[in-house]
Amino acid sequence: MVKTQQVRAQPALLRRTREFIARSGLLVALIVLFGLLAIFAPNFLLPTNLFNVLRAVAVNGIIACAMTFVIISGDIDVSVGSAVAWSSSLLGILAITLKIPLLLAVGIVLAQGALIHMGAGFIRVRWSIPAFVVTLALYISLSGMAKVVTNAYPITPFPESFSFWGQGYVLGIIPVPAVLMLITIAIFQFLSTRTVFGRSVYSVGGNEEASRLSGIPVGRTRIIIFALSGLMAALGGIIISSRVMAGVYNVGQGLEFDVIAAVVIGGTSLAGGSGSMIGSFLGVLFIGLLSNGMTLMGVPPYWQEVARGLIVLFAVLFSAWQKPIRK
Amino acid sequence: MPPILSLHQVTKQYPGVLALDNVDFSLDKGEVRALLGKNGAGKSTLVKILSGANQPDSGEIRIDDKPVSIPDTRAAFDMGICTVYQEMSLVPGLTVAENILLGRWPQLRLGAFSMIDHAKIRKIARGALDQLEVTLNLDEQVSRLSIAQQQLVEIAKAISFSPRVMVLDEPTSALPAGEVAVLHKVVRRLAEQGHGIIYVTHRLQEIPRVADTVTVLRDGKVVGTIQVAEATPKRIANMMIGADWQPTEWGAKSNPGAVKLAVRHLNRKGWLNDVTFELYGGEVLGIAGLLGSGRTELVRAIFGADAIDSGEIQVNGTIVSHPSPNRMKANGIGLTPEDRKRQGLILPFAVLDNLTLASLNRLNIHGILQRQRAQGLAMGMVESLSIKTASLSVPTGTLSGGNQQKVVIGNWLNTQPDVLLMDEPTRGIDIQAKEQIFHLVRDLAQQGIGILFISSEIEEVLEVADRILVMNRGYLTHQFRRGEIDLETLMTLVMEEIGHGQDTASTSPASVAAPHA
Ligand SMILES: Nc1ncnc2c1ncn2[C@@H]1O[C@H](COP(=O)(O)OP(=O)(O)OP(=O)(O)O)[C@@H](O)[C@H]1O
Ligand SMILES: [Mg+2]
Repeated sequence: MVKTQQVRAQPALLRRTREFIARSGLLVALIVLFGLLAIFAPNFLLPTNLFNVLRAVAVNGIIACAMTFVIISGDIDVSVGSAVAWSSSLLGILAITLKIPLLLAVGIVLAQGALIHMGAGFIRVRWSIPAFVVTLALYISLSGMAKVVTNAYPITPFPESFSFWGQGYVLGIIPVPAVLMLITIAIFQFLSTRTVFGRSVYSVGGNEEASRLSGIPVGRTRIIIFALSGLMAALGGIIISSRVMAGVYNVGQGLEFDVIAAVVIGGTSLAGGSGSMIGSFLGVLFIGLLSNGMTLMGVPPYWQEVARGLIVLFAVLFSAWQKPIRK
Repeated sequence: MPPILSLHQVTKQYPGVLALDNVDFSLDKGEVRALLGKNGAGKSTLVKILSGANQPDSGEIRIDDKPVSIPDTRAAFDMGICTVYQEMSLVPGLTVAENILLGRWPQLRLGAFSMIDHAKIRKIARGALDQLEVTLNLDEQVSRLSIAQQQLVEIAKAISFSPRVMVLDEPTSALPAGEVAVLHKVVRRLAEQGHGIIYVTHRLQEIPRVADTVTVLRDGKVVGTIQVAEATPKRIANMMIGADWQPTEWGAKSNPGAVKLAVRHLNRKGWLNDVTFELYGGEVLGIAGLLGSGRTELVRAIFGADAIDSGEIQVNGTIVSHPSPNRMKANGIGLTPEDRKRQGLILPFAVLDNLTLASLNRLNIHGILQRQRAQGLAMGMVESLSIKTASLSVPTGTLSGGNQQKVVIGNWLNTQPDVLLMDEPTRGIDIQAKEQIFHLVRDLAQQGIGILFISSEIEEVLEVADRILVMNRGYLTHQFRRGEIDLETLMTLVMEEIGHGQDTASTSPASVAAPHA
């Protein structure tokens, strides 16, 4: 197969447009989606609806922050959904059944969330077990534990004031969970870009051996990442408990896949080493807006799941498409 | 007779770098052409254009005087151009035989099904290895091979295509002396059979042994092509560097101070046998040994990268228990590893990140990274090591091989170590940069740092070290001071066969003498 060599220089404008789309493709997609929903979904543009979307995505957004670290470091955590359910159940048991003061109960739930995941991280590191396997085991046991302690019944009632965290508003209109999410994102964004810990996360995911030989404490970094993941899942469990005003054994089950999907859509590579908090935030928003829009347009819930699956596939294809510009 | 391969006005522009600038090049049947040039001169870029891995922006490639395009690597194979890359491209999880025939495994058809014909794979692979005259276990996983062995697998892979043009990009930079000779023989034989060969190297002493003609590149331009008879090292160096170039002498001998690092009875089964020695501040201690002699294992053990069975490591007089890279770094020890791609660098990350990877823990206040200072440190290294890069933010993987190597060294210099273990720091580095690194090593020693210097090129060890330890099969067998030994004797000692039942008594000369005596 012998052809004449063509002189090919890609026009600069075309290349730059392509680069721009590749880098901010998700933002563009988000704006397009927003535009489409504004036209086709009834009541979409109402401020209450938009703030509702923010509230609905808040827990996913919070957990996605830690998940972004997990995935950048080259690991995965499939246990977060169960950890949310377990945390909610535990909070119910502590605050309602055992009548421990609410604030203390919240503190205990947050601490145990971090600790349990820290243990999982330790096992992951100490015996080099794939994170998927460790967190799968954790997923199953936490989901079981939630049912054990609650007998699979919702535990009620929390004191009325507790509803603020899941249902309250700041400045009369901004949902509290949305504010918590934004604060979390800001903190994680800072961690990831400005701190030694954040840079270590990227390094460990980029090349574990080179990081280790550069004296970066690889094991410690991974364990801290796991602890953050557990902590955020526990926080998510508390917010959801406040929203439903009960300790419920199965809330949050399955959210791990929405979270992982959002992180992947947000451009974080499952191979590790690259990704961003802002990307994950946009990913969470994208999935949230899509679900909201489909609900407003009356798409049946099961079809919504199918659509979400296809979106993930599309996002991965898109990131494969943008690779060639590296050459 | 038209040349078998020629390039006309080939240009390749990368963001910020003109890697090839109107290059004309032609190669005859049966010719071995050495392609030389400083780090970043454009050699690998030329190679990648021939292998289809990269496309030129403009220009023409001809095979047998017919213009062709090489859109991908497959097309290059089909046209009979085979390439052995500087950065290896084997699949670690597959066997030697599977790698040699990667992507064209013969199939056995059983009706509608087909399966891999392993017998045939092994037969073809065996043929290629026989042509190379090396023995390797065909069923061994490539990940378990040494770098040298992997390099041989790469070459066997290329040979198995029976190419018309074979391109070798620094094939010897990781090979021990014995295997270099084998490779040169293979290259000459292929040339006699009428293949055209392009051979990229930084080792000037190889040229008369293997090449017929020499082409020198500088800043992407062809400086000239000369016959090997005219290619004296000095002439080549001048063509590469563009000015009259003199390797500088360093008169100042360093002046050893206190013991910085003491290694006592280090054992690791199969690799290290009762290794005991001291490294003094202000000295350069060279380790002469073949690949597989245990020199890499020794520095990795000292640095805590591999576990040891027994032994003791003292830094500045205190024993370091449970050594780990992190802990050793905290004790002022640095290691520049031999395999930059896998152990030294995070290739997709920016040059800035890789130059500060090991000093992250010092570049912060309460955990918050001081980006200004990081920039400053990185910039300092780019200047003092003359790292050729478009900016600090380009991915390190886009740098030329030699410049990547400099980043590995810069990363550790930035930690301001007390003791620096350098495992093959000159691999793939051009002659001028090599001189710079020797200077740097001497300068560091002058400042009181202890340096352990490993190189496959024994000449380098002789040139730079104050004291030389000979390593063989995991034993330290001899010790010499600068000037006590010549190259030839050292070579024989390095390659000497030592018995299995070697006891520790005969290894002791290296462990008792101090450099002062
Ligand atoms: N993918 C890329 N993107 C951007 N720049 C590149 C890329 N590949 C190579 N370059 C640049 O092109 C120049 C030539 O690189 P090349 O790898 O051809 O050098 P070389 O002569 O092989 O050097 P060495 O002896 O160090 O291997 C270098 O400045 C390098 O940084
Ligand atoms: Mg090169």
